[in-house]
Amino acid sequence: MSAITGSQPTTEPPAPEERGPGLAGRIAALPGDIARHWSDYLYILPALGIMLVVIAYPIFYTVRLSFYSTPANLAMDDKIWIGLDNYRRILTSDSFRSVTRNTLEWTVFSTFFAYVIGLGAALVIQREFPGRSIVRGVLLIPWVISYVSAAYIWKWLYHSDYGLINDTLIRLNIVDQNINILDNIHRALPALIIANIWKEFPFAMIMLLAGLQGVPDQLHRAAKVDGAGTWARFWHITMPQLKSVSVVTILLLMLTNLNSFTLVWVMTGGGPAGSTDIWITQIYQLAFGRTRFGVASAYSVILFLIMMALGYFYVKALTRGDAEREGA
Amino acid sequence: MSTQRYRELFNRELNRRKLLAYGAAAGAGAAFGPRALTLAQDGTIDTTDWTPETIVAQAGTLEVDTAAECAQVVPLDYEGEVSYWYVGPADSEPQITHDIDAEFWAAFAETYPNITVNITRLTYNDMLDQIRTAALGNAAPMVAKMPILWGVEFAAKGQLQEFGPADAGYPVEEYWPGAMKSVTYDGKTYGVPTNNETMALIWNAALFEEAGLDPDSPPATWDDVVAYSKQIKENTGKDGYGLVARVNAGNTPFRFMPAMWAYGGGALDEAAEAPTYEEIWINNEGSIAALQSHYQMYVTDKSVPTSALTNTQAENQAPFISGSLGMMIAHPAEYAQMNDMAANADEADREIADQVVANMRYGFLPEGPTGRRAVVFGGSNVHVFEPSVVDGGNVDLDAARALIAFSTGPEWSTKLAWVGSNPSNIRGFQTSWMKERLDSIPFLDVTTSMLPYGIPFPVVPESTEIMNIIVPDMLQNALTESMSVEDAANNAASQIEEIRGDGL
Repeated sequence: MSAITGSQPTTEPPAPEERGPGLAGRIAALPGDIARHWSDYLYILPALGIMLVVIAYPIFYTVRLSFYSTPANLAMDDKIWIGLDNYRRILTSDSFRSVTRNTLEWTVFSTFFAYVIGLGAALVIQREFPGRSIVRGVLLIPWVISYVSAAYIWKWLYHSDYGLINDTLIRLNIVDQNINILDNIHRALPALIIANIWKEFPFAMIMLLAGLQGVPDQLHRAAKVDGAGTWARFWHITMPQLKSVSVVTILLLMLTNLNSFTLVWVMTGGGPAGSTDIWITQIYQLAFGRTRFGVASAYSVILFLIMMALGYFYVKALTRGDAEREGA
Repeated sequence: MSTQRYRELFNRELNRRKLLAYGAAAGAGAAFGPRALTLAQDGTIDTTDWTPETIVAQAGTLEVDTAAECAQVVPLDYEGEVSYWYVGPADSEPQITHDIDAEFWAAFAETYPNITVNITRLTYNDMLDQIRTAALGNAAPMVAKMPILWGVEFAAKGQLQEFGPADAGYPVEEYWPGAMKSVTYDGKTYGVPTNNETMALIWNAALFEEAGLDPDSPPATWDDVVAYSKQIKENTGKDGYGLVARVNAGNTPFRFMPAMWAYGGGALDEAAEAPTYEEIWINNEGSIAALQSHYQMYVTDKSVPTSALTNTQAENQAPFISGSLGMMIAHPAEYAQMNDMAANADEADREIADQVVANMRYGFLPEGPTGRRAVVFGGSNVHVFEPSVVDGGNVDLDAARALIAFSTGPEWSTKLAWVGSNPSNIRGFQTSWMKERLDSIPFLDVTTSMLPYGIPFPVVPESTEIMNIIVPDMLQNALTESMSVEDAANNAASQIEEIRGDGL
């Protein structure tokens, strides 16, 4: 009983002596704390060193490079300082607007439908039914195959001249001639999004399935006794219980989609006429297709800031989940 | 070996070949002798007389002692070490390519037993990024063999040493002018050509006949290509011409630029008699006419594969071998490739595939409205990097010279180009190995005959970007009707202007 009462939130503020040391006190105590934990620091030192070399330095170098012009006819040592001009040119260019629109469509639709389909699949395979293990295994296939393989599979399914989808539609007399899918500026991006959803929904399914297994069964039983229907139980019990895992899943899907490269690159190369170009393919194209390392770095910094913002919310969601569990 | 010494040797061989030719003329007619000559009096290549007949006639008339030639450049007992990167044979390439590659390294080790070569084989798709990164990080190899388009970027950045054929013991005249143009930047020579290739038009004679066309006559002009393609589509339902317009794929400019040049256009002024690379031609009348011809085929006539915008040339092979595609621009190796595909076809498809191979024909690329015929002058060059960007900061120049002399001479520039290319060293055309190639590779004489029509891509650092991105972008903008043909051309012109100012 004491354990239960001990976890109750208190309404009175703690006494000054119970609040712990202030900032000045904490700073004063820091050398002592470090000295006490010197061996812990030694343990993490190699990892910190590696991270500095492989993460911190490249980030620093990319940020620095973003302030330079690096034309194809100049060696990197001869790069020209242009301050914020790369950022200005990116943010005012037509291509940035169209690429950003593509990126938003790609990220939002891929994330939303991967989440919704993943949730549906998780709800299905959570239930007991004959062959459940096989269905689970089958549903995981898109997630476990490589992106390159998936891209080629979908490229040939969609192929505008010899694709399986077109062939099937014609055989079923649904259409009388091939539909131009990947070579049409209006259909290419939706087609890629569908392929991406197929590839990603098992991830959402696994995450949400784990979340569903944490929903106490007695809540459902109690609600059922109280006369709640399936929809009401789903909406008022299941979804609130999945809130933390949903936030984490959606954030991870968004981060993955913002970083997506392989599917788009292999299937369309950003074409036709730039209709499937997204931030990450644009950065690759600028850096390695056009050797505009300065502009590509500025683009990367912009993307990095957006990712950091999402990362912040991701960490916040994770820690809030921890806090809620501790609070419970 | 000095340049002068080589010129004398070369002239002697020419005289010998001239004698052989005149000897043959006794039986074949007085005109044959001069036709067999491929070099003009001043030592440059006489491109007016470079035909399948003269190519066949000169093959097998020259004996080469590679070791003796190389010994004149670097003593055979020289001790040294050289690092070398190149696009090595891919798994998908024919076994003979792998065998010749292995033979080359064995022969080099035998000729120069004390030179250690640190070999790095890369794939075509990986090499450019890796070598750019390596050069930026001062970890480049001493020597690298790169596709013809790439070298100028490194030269412009000051990462390559001045190094020409003379440094490897060969006179400049032994190389095609187009090839030498591709290794020349700002008036200086930065490499030695290793192999030169030009493509031709291949067509399915049976499909031509079915469409009511003369099965043995390819389209003479690019306007004919448009008309033939339409006729094939209308009469057979099959695609007429294998258009390729994917962005960031080398296949696209290799197939579009010949049309552009034939119509009198170009990206810059690379098709001019004396290009300056200062003028932008991509939106001139000729370029727009070429773009319009492709628009006509893709949008108006719908006589080419719809998937052209995402296709590379590899995706045209299956339709061609299945008899669903009338014609396309291809390498000499395409015949071998089609044979392989036919051999590997299922029993049900084998008959069709064999028929297609039997009906496969090679011809010259079409001319433009003014009678101009053009093809991309492709191939590779070998370059020596500056010590400052090389791993270790040192280049063993003599070891590099030995390797380059050995690989770019008549013997190995012929053998290493066995399946799909041509020797860079024109003496290679006279060797018995060239004769063996001509005897065993159908249509090689036709593709080789396109060499005089070869135009190298602009030798400017932005060339890769212009050819692999801006030109395909222009095509896609027009073919998807995102822009009108004129607007797409003007947009490409403004992009070229922009990249010279480091634009997006």
